[in-house]
Order: sequence, then C-alpha cells, then structure tokens
Amino acid sequence: MNLTVFLQNVLNGLSIGSIYAIFALGYTLVFSILGIINFAHGAVFTLGAYFTYMLMGNAFGFNGLLANLALPIRLPFVLALFFGSIAAGLVSVLIERLAFCPLRRKKADSLLTVVSSLGVAVVIVNLIQYLVGAEIYTFPPDTYGTLPPAINFGTEANPIPIRSVQVVIFVVSGVIVSLLTYLINATKYGKAMRAVAEDPTTASLLGIDPDRFIVLTFFVSGFLGGLAGTLVGSSVSIAGPYFGIGFGLKGLAVIVLGGLGSIPGAVVGGLTIGLVEAFVPGDYSAYKDAVAFGILFIMLLVRPQGLLGRSLVQKV
Amino acid sequence: MNDFVSTYGFLFVSMILGAMLGLSLYLPLMAGQLSLASPGFYALGGYVAAILSTKVFQVKEPFPIALLLLEMLIAGIICGLLGVIVGVPALRLRGIYLAIATIAFVEILRVLALNLDVTGGAVGIFGIPQPFQSPIEYLWIVLPLLLISMAFVYRLEKIRVGRAFIAIREDELAADSMGINPTYYKALAFTLGAILAGVVGAISAHFLNTWNARQGTFDASIIYLTFVLIGGSRTFLGPVLGGMVFTALPEILRAIADTPGLPVWLAQFLRDGRLIIFGLLIVIGTRFFPQGLVTPQLLKRRSRSQANR
Repeated sequence: MNLTVFLQNVLNGLSIGSIYAIFALGYTLVFSILGIINFAHGAVFTLGAYFTYMLMGNAFGFNGLLANLALPIRLPFVLALFFGSIAAGLVSVLIERLAFCPLRRKKADSLLTVVSSLGVAVVIVNLIQYLVGAEIYTFPPDTYGTLPPAINFGTEANPIPIRSVQVVIFVVSGVIVSLLTYLINATKYGKAMRAVAEDPTTASLLGIDPDRFIVLTFFVSGFLGGLAGTLVGSSVSIAGPYFGIGFGLKGLAVIVLGGLGSIPGAVVGGLTIGLVEAFVPGDYSAYKDAVAFGILFIMLLVRPQGLLGRSLVQKV
Repeated sequence: MNDFVSTYGFLFVSMILGAMLGLSLYLPLMAGQLSLASPGFYALGGYVAAILSTKVFQVKEPFPIALLLLEMLIAGIICGLLGVIVGVPALRLRGIYLAIATIAFVEILRVLALNLDVTGGAVGIFGIPQPFQSPIEYLWIVLPLLLISMAFVYRLEKIRVGRAFIAIREDELAADSMGINPTYYKALAFTLGAILAGVVGAISAHFLNTWNARQGTFDASIIYLTFVLIGGSRTFLGPVLGGMVFTALPEILRAIADTPGLPVWLAQFLRDGRLIIFGLLIVIGTRFFPQGLVTPQLLKRRSRSQANR
C-alpha cells in the first residue's frame, strides 16, 4: 500500500468517523442524562437530511402525499444545514414530550422507554415513506456552492486529492465538537446538565429544574443527529426513509466502544470505527458492516463499560 | 367455505407462526432478559431448512413430511447450540447491554447471509420444495407445534425452572442470594427461545417457498417485540394472542379500509400507513398498558367471575 492510498484511507476513515462521532454524541448525551438509549435517534438523523434537502428548495419525487412539493425558498447549504438541524432538534424535543416524559413521570421500567423509542422510530420512518415515497434523493452537484469537487493537498507531481465534501465534514464536525465541549465544560448550562445526569433529585434540590435540561439535552441530541444526517445525505445521498436505521445501529457500536454516556468516548469510538472500516480491504468490503458489529459484540463481552466509560457498579 | 380457506389459509398459518415467534421472545423475557435475537435464530433455522431441502436431500415434490420434521429437529439443535455459545457470555450483560449485544448478533448474521455463497447471497434461496398442496395444510404441522409449545411454557411457569426465571426477572440479586444461579437460568431461557425461533424458521422457509437475508432483520425484531409487549409480557397467552392479532392486523386494516362511506384519505391511510399505526400502537401501548393487554390479573379476574356464576 503506497503512501497516497494510505493517506486517503486515513482521511476517508476520519471523515466518516467524525460523522459517526457527531451522531453518537447525540445518543450519548441522552444516555448520560436518562440512562436510556433513544432508538428514535436514527430516525431523527433521517429527518435532518430530508429537512435540509427541502430547505435548499429541492423538489420531492412523484410518490407519496407530498409528491413534487418544493419549498419556494432556496437557502444556501450552510443556512439550510443549520435550520434543518434545528428542525430535527425540535422533533427530538417533541419525541421527548410525547414518548419519554409520560413514562418517566410514571417511573416506568427503562426497557419500556427503549421500546417506546423503537415505536417512535417506526412511526417516523413510515411517515416519511408515506409523505415523500421511498426513493433515493441526491443533493444537486452545486450543493456546496462554488467549491471544486476535490482539493489537492499534495504537490503537482505527487497529488493527494481530497474530496471537498470531506473538507466540509471536517470543518463542520470540528466546529461542532469544540462548541459542544465548550457548552458542557465551561458554561452554567453544561454544569447544570452534568448535575442532572449525575443525580436528578439532588440537582432539583439545588434549584435546577431537571425537566428543562432534559428538554435541552434532547434538542442538542436531535440537532447533532440531524446534522450528521445532512452530512451523510449531502455527501452520498439520502437512501430512502430507512437509511437512518442502519446508521443508528452503527451508532450503537460507536457508543458502546467509547463507553455509554461518555462524551470523549463517543468521539474516540466514532473515529476508531470509521478508521477500522476504511481499512477493510476492498475484496471484503461487503463485510464492512459486520466488522463494526463484531467490535461491538467483543467489546461488550470484554469490557462492557467501553474504552472511556466508568465501570459498572450495581447498586442494591 | 373452500373460497374462504383458500383466501385466508395463508393468513391463518402466518398468524400461528407469529404466535410462536412471540413465544420465542417471551421465553428470555420470562427471566427478565430483553433479547432481540429471535429474528437471527429464525433466519438461521430457515437457512438450515432451505439448504438441506434444496441442496442435500434432492427429493421430488411433494416433500416428505418426515424430512421436514428432521429439518426442524436439526434447525432446533443448531440454533440451540449457537444459543448456548452466544448466550453464556452475552448473558452476563444486563438490560440494555444485552439488547444491544443481541442486535449486533442479528446484524452479523444478516451480513453473513447476504454475502456467503451457501445462503445464495442477496438473492437468497428459491424454490424450496413444498410438502403440501395448499398453504392451509401447513396447519397440520404448525397447530400441534403451537399447542405443544404453549403447553410447555404453561408447565414451565408452574415448575421450579420457570419459578427461577420469574424470580430472576423480579430481582436478579435477590434470586442469586437465594441460591438460584442467574447465568445458568438466563442462558437456559435464552436457548429455549433460540430453539423455538429456529424451528419456526425451518417451517417458514418451506411455507414461504423462498428465503433471503430480509427474513431476520432489525425491523423483524421490533415487530416480534410488539407481539410480546402489547400482547402481554407477564403470561404466555399475551405473546400468543399478540402474535396472532398483529400478524392479522394488515388484513384487518385492509378490511376496515374497504368499508363503504369512509373518506378517501382515511381509507388510503389505513391501507398504506399500517406501519405508522403499528408504531403508534407501540408508543401508546407502553404508555397505557405497560404489562400488555393480557395480564395475569385479567386472567385471574375472569376465572373468578366464572366460578361465582
């Protein structure tokens, strides 16, 4: 394997890995605060991609109730990405209010909440199919404005071309991860959020309203999910309403590898899985998906708390 | 009558298969383990039957019933062995970790089925020989099997093993300190579910005539889970009824959509939006019927009111 191919594999791995990381951060934030896995996160990811697609003024196909619909506005990519992700965040808050909050009030078994989130995922995926059909939507080639399809980072004689999409992904994910780290570690909101995650009862005694921060967490989580969805959708395509479900399962591998509920863990896990997948030889690329789940399965047996998670202590 | 049988024969058999798949998920749940591995074992059992009947046995149709029973046995044994191999290490995990591990297991099996030569790759296996003339005749196999598995689970709930399962479900630590070995009983419950799912898969492969990687997916996990959780997760009648009703649900919705006088949009929604309704039922069910529709209390109340009469 020569150096150029190696570098390209690394870059491919890091770019898909950073999308995994952003997506998994959404999972892990909710897990850290509520101790549950929100299976509807994959569906929110899908929704984010469709929202951005719509906000850029692209038209839908001829299937479903909203056939041939196109919004009269045409936002540039960055704005559409921002508002699409906000819309995904709002959907996530709606899911929290309708499916999670009532169960939490009743102090229901956490497995029931997991099942409820599965139900929400089924509803969203099929609602998308009902509204806009199951076909693949591709973002138009001029999505990223005037950026050329690839940028050369090597010399004229020894070119290392990188797809501009990957540059966009790096920039966006770098900004997001730093903003999130700042929000959680350096602001009052982040402190309160961590307090609620640690112990909601004590936090409420100290004058923090846990409900407000749970809603905030779901918003951030949905925002990150929608953002990741748009990045995948715009760099490859929106492969129908189900495309978030497979990605959502991959996200499970990421958070378990990094450690459930750990924020640096989600980033490390995402980049690791992305890199490992990028180095699966071409002949075996069909088994790529099995690799992530194999890692997940072995990790659960060997070290269920993940690379950076806290060890599991069972309280009686 | 003949018309009725030929129209709904396929549905009846599917409903009974659904009931057994519900039971296969209920068995680990009896010991408090949320396992989503049933579709994986179901797919594996189907592949065992499909490969044996198309590549190994090489007999003309009608396919002998003795061979079908043999395939069910082999599928059950293979799934049982794999159940032990996967179950023993995986069942040290609790709650959500176990659910994730079983999801990973199902996905690995799916990717393998999609890429191996012996499973026919993405196309799958076609022309699996038929032991019967019409779908309804499968009842000769599935109905006794359902009754046997129901009787088995009913007995299981009464004896020591089943009580150990339930003790673990209620409080694993307490059960452990009472001298019940949780890992042993959890692996047993998991393996029993795996065997049942594998046997059902072997029948389904013949019944559906074709088998491919779409048979055991994450979607299927959610659907089987609905059978159990909405049907009722505290008594074996719950998953049986849940499996039957939810398998028939698309047909029921279609029948409702055909009633004259409905607004066009509603009829269309009932026809095409059945999975939306499915998902909504899961969300509503977990909120208002956390133990499912058929609960032990409900059964007890019924038998008491009958005794008073």
